[in-house]
Amino acid sequence: MIVRAPHLRDDRLFDYYLAERAGDIVDPPAAEHLGDCAACGARYAELVRTMDAVRAEADAETDEIFTPERLRAQQQQIARRLEHVGRAARVISFPGRLVSRHMSGSTARGVTQWVYAAAAAGLVIGVGLGSFYNTEWRSAHRARQVATGPETILAPSTAVATRGTGPAVEASDEAFLSDLEVALERPHTSELQPFDALTPHVRESR
Amino acid sequence: MSSDLRTSSDARPAGAADTPVVAAPAPKGRRPPVSEDSRLAIEIRSLVERGEMEEARERFGGLVAVHQRRASRIAYQYLRDAAEADEAVQDAFVKVFAHIASYREAWPFEVWFTRILINGCLDRRKARARRDRWFVSSIDATPADEARASAAIAAPGANPEARLLARERRSRLAAAIERLSGRQRDVFMLCHYGDCTPREVSAITGLNESTVRVHLFRAARKLRGFLGGTP
Repeated sequence: MIVRAPHLRDDRLFDYYLAERAGDIVDPPAAEHLGDCAACGARYAELVRTMDAVRAEADAETDEIFTPERLRAQQQQIARRLEHVGRAARVISFPGRLVSRHMSGSTARGVTQWVYAAAAAGLVIGVGLGSFYNTEWRSAHRARQVATGPETILAPSTAVATRGTGPAVEASDEAFLSDLEVALERPHTSELQPFDALTPHVRESR
Repeated sequence: MSSDLRTSSDARPAGAADTPVVAAPAPKGRRPPVSEDSRLAIEIRSLVERGEMEEARERFGGLVAVHQRRASRIAYQYLRDAAEADEAVQDAFVKVFAHIASYREAWPFEVWFTRILINGCLDRRKARARRDRWFVSSIDATPADEARASAAIAAPGANPEARLLARERRSRLAAAIERLSGRQRDVFMLCHYGDCTPREVSAITGLNESTVRVHLFRAARKLRGFLGGTP
């Protein structure tokens, strides 16, 4: 009785494919089985076709994108970047003049003291001048008030008091308030104003 | 060394999204044969140590030329943004040169470089996710990428329909890869886009080689499911 070897499992088939692709020694029983069994041979051929197609697609895609010109440009770019490897970074001195002067510790302390003193003097002078000018302005303002007299000061209140008298003033006030009312009632948006003009108003019906 | 080369090991959850790639300890006893680029890296390291920077830079150009295309492919698949991938690749090379003194020949240069590149890409992904929480999403193609894609479609001699279909296929594939868990995605990308063997992926990620194989197999199975093949 002839016992037929079982079909190759997928993982064994895949190992066979990897070994064959890498040029390693293939599994002899598997190779023998693949030679004899048509079904396993077909499965193996399908596996190889799929994997080769995957690889071929990747190759074609890479060749399309990374053309020889692009690879050359990449090489040049790498070469340019390598120029800077191993070189110390350039340090830009700032501020150049102060660094070159090289101040000693005591000199620096003296300069700082002078800066504080100048700032304090500036503050004192500023406050003094401010208070002086304020006093000047107040006295001048008072002198102006004395020169114009009390009636000038009272003039606005007088005007307010006299405004309400007389029918002419009353009519103009009425017109002003009416205009104000109309302005408030109308829409402020210019696009809506034509619609507002077409719409009847309560004030017109009165 | 910068924080990109995180050397503490197993404190991360397996399959966690965008977890930094941590190097496996160097193999004891057996030493792998030194590859051409690793030998070049060792020479550059000696030049830097002797202070011959001009010569070191010139030699480093050779390493850039060897790894640039592969690095760009990996970075682009991680970031899906050409400009950002470009920057990530540049940063990785500059970082490698700046820290070449810490390169040890216990692992191939390719493994060391890839680890630095992927850590940079993961940091960028994290930063982008943080940015996207507060600002407009940048996961979608950038205007520059869109313009490039439109220009490619409108290019004379190109078949616009075929290009559109290719673009659609790629975005489907990218979306499917995006749906993988962080560890599966890392392993799959390193193996399929970075041309790494499971052993190298194990060295880069610090995972056991058999664990790498399991992740890889699961990732492939999921991808086939997402893309409409037999899961």
